[in-house]
Amino acid sequence: MIQFQEVRKAFGKQDVLRGASLHVAPGEYVAIMGKSGSGKSTLLNILGAMEDADDGRYQLAGHYVHKMSARKRTALRNAEIGFVFQQFQLIPNLSVYQNVKLPLTYGRKKLGGKRGRVLKALEDVGLLEKKGQKPGRLSGGEKQRVAIARALVNEPSMLLADEPTGSLDESTTETIMALFDEVHARGTTIVMITHDPEVAARAERVVHLRNGVLE
Amino acid sequence: MKVIQAFWLAILGLWANKFRVLSAMMGIVIGLFAVMVLISIAVGAKDMLMRQMGNLGAEQILVMPGRVLDDANGQKDLLSGLTSVPSTLTYEDAEAVRAVPGVERVVPQLETVANIDYGDTRVQGMIVGTTTGYAEVQHAAVAEGSFFAEEDQGKNVVVLGRNVHDGLLGITQQDGGGGEAAPGGEDKPWWQKWLSGLTAEASEPMLVGKTIMIGETEYSVAGVLEPNATLGSSTDNTVVMPIETALANTDMTYLNKMIVEADSLDVIDQVDGAVFSAIAAQHSEIDFSVVKQEQMLGAVGKVTTVLQVMLAGITATALLISGMGILNVMVMSVRERTREIGIRKALGATTFEILLQFFFETLLLCLVGGAIGIACGYAFIELWNANVTIFALSLPMWAVQLGLGVTAVIGGIFGVYPALKAARMKPSKALRFE
Repeated sequence: MIQFQEVRKAFGKQDVLRGASLHVAPGEYVAIMGKSGSGKSTLLNILGAMEDADDGRYQLAGHYVHKMSARKRTALRNAEIGFVFQQFQLIPNLSVYQNVKLPLTYGRKKLGGKRGRVLKALEDVGLLEKKGQKPGRLSGGEKQRVAIARALVNEPSMLLADEPTGSLDESTTETIMALFDEVHARGTTIVMITHDPEVAARAERVVHLRNGVLE
Repeated sequence: MKVIQAFWLAILGLWANKFRVLSAMMGIVIGLFAVMVLISIAVGAKDMLMRQMGNLGAEQILVMPGRVLDDANGQKDLLSGLTSVPSTLTYEDAEAVRAVPGVERVVPQLETVANIDYGDTRVQGMIVGTTTGYAEVQHAAVAEGSFFAEEDQGKNVVVLGRNVHDGLLGITQQDGGGGEAAPGGEDKPWWQKWLSGLTAEASEPMLVGKTIMIGETEYSVAGVLEPNATLGSSTDNTVVMPIETALANTDMTYLNKMIVEADSLDVIDQVDGAVFSAIAAQHSEIDFSVVKQEQMLGAVGKVTTVLQVMLAGITATALLISGMGILNVMVMSVRERTREIGIRKALGATTFEILLQFFFETLLLCLVGGAIGIACGYAFIELWNANVTIFALSLPMWAVQLGLGVTAVIGGIFGVYPALKAARMKPSKALRFE
């Protein structure tokens, strides 16, 4: 699923990634741990095709990401990656339904029945009855469930999560992690960045980012 | 397909940001309203000036005291200069002009100010001694009674201007709505009552056939004129009497001006020269001017051009100010949505799709706001024209197109440019934008 080889990234004179390599098999559930400032966010941005690496090779679902134009990377992002962010990143003025529908709006995949898909995704995360509400009226856990529904609505091959429980309390964390388990059980690849060992322990494999290298 | 989708996303975006959209739209509405009203005032004032000048007739020639300088083409140019000298034009000059071939009509005018009495009421008015052609050249219609006839020359008859008439009857403008306006007044909305106070019409004439006093002399009122104004020479404050009566009863000797009308436009140049010669033959020096209406229109044209340039400046300033307001609102609005743009990009929106959405949002905002602004402008103009008689406002189509065009261009540039900047950001950076 992911072939990440000798990837380097520097900001000015500061090397953040110094030849990081990672192999993730299809359907695998991997947690990446690291201290604050270790380059986890940079790694996530490159994995999510939102930022270029300075050097190295990155292959995702058979596509050579490091060789792609920005336009093709955008299409790849939409088709293959579902994002879950620590700060949820929902558009506040759109309803829950409209937020979840966004990946389908911009999608190039031939997926029929958009409305049905959105409603199914919301049903899967238990928020069907809140489809008309604005994100501002939801709790943190509900917002993250909406984000998960949005991430999965167009059936990406990989779920990329950046500290998905970082802003949640313990019981809500458990709800979200249970959802991740369900997603994984359906065969979706999950790459999750976290600094919480308990959350990381839910994954099949844990890798550590130390000194710009994945171990 | 993408265009249609972007259009719907734009509508959704506008709907989702209702309050922001309303505040932005308010700026556009006010801007466009101000521009429409300013342009309609400018055009209305110009139209009124041109119409009033046009009313004097192209075949008319004005004879006036003093010398008007010639321009480079040898034409009389009223704006170049006019020497101010006491008039030496006489009624005999007018008689001499009347004999000029091709002259249809001569209207000499003597003017002075006097007190007019009716019973215990006294008003001041301008006494005009003239001939029967006065009513026609001044476009002064008779509201009641009749204008004096040619055979009334030498008789003590007068025709009253509307303000003099009303003043003598003690009718003020405020209560002058009189018989017809008052009964319906109770049913009018407040704004119409308020406006009618400014524009009330005078009461029905009542002095026809009565006797008034000017100085120590009695005059019979033959008629009352309709309210009237022709470019700075309103008849409302005048008392018009036969010129021979004026010469006999007052100390007026010299004419203030003389309006000569040619048979047709074909002979206007010959008549112009002949009139000059006829008067010059009776004067020891050239202390008068003969100006064709066409030349006066040229002078007014210059004045209105200056007026137009000035109002174009005001219009441009209003557009600029409203444009700056729109610019501010659009830049702030897009800047606030940078994170949203980042989210959309992360989820698969291309730069073009983002740009198209914001372009349509801006366009819709500007067009709807602009249309409301223009509608408000039209409503104001209708209200004005229905209730205010000073002059009619007029809104030409070019003003609407200009206002909408400028709004769309400014809105487009300053709505789309910051969106383009945000859309070109890496999504990872836009997502972190505070």
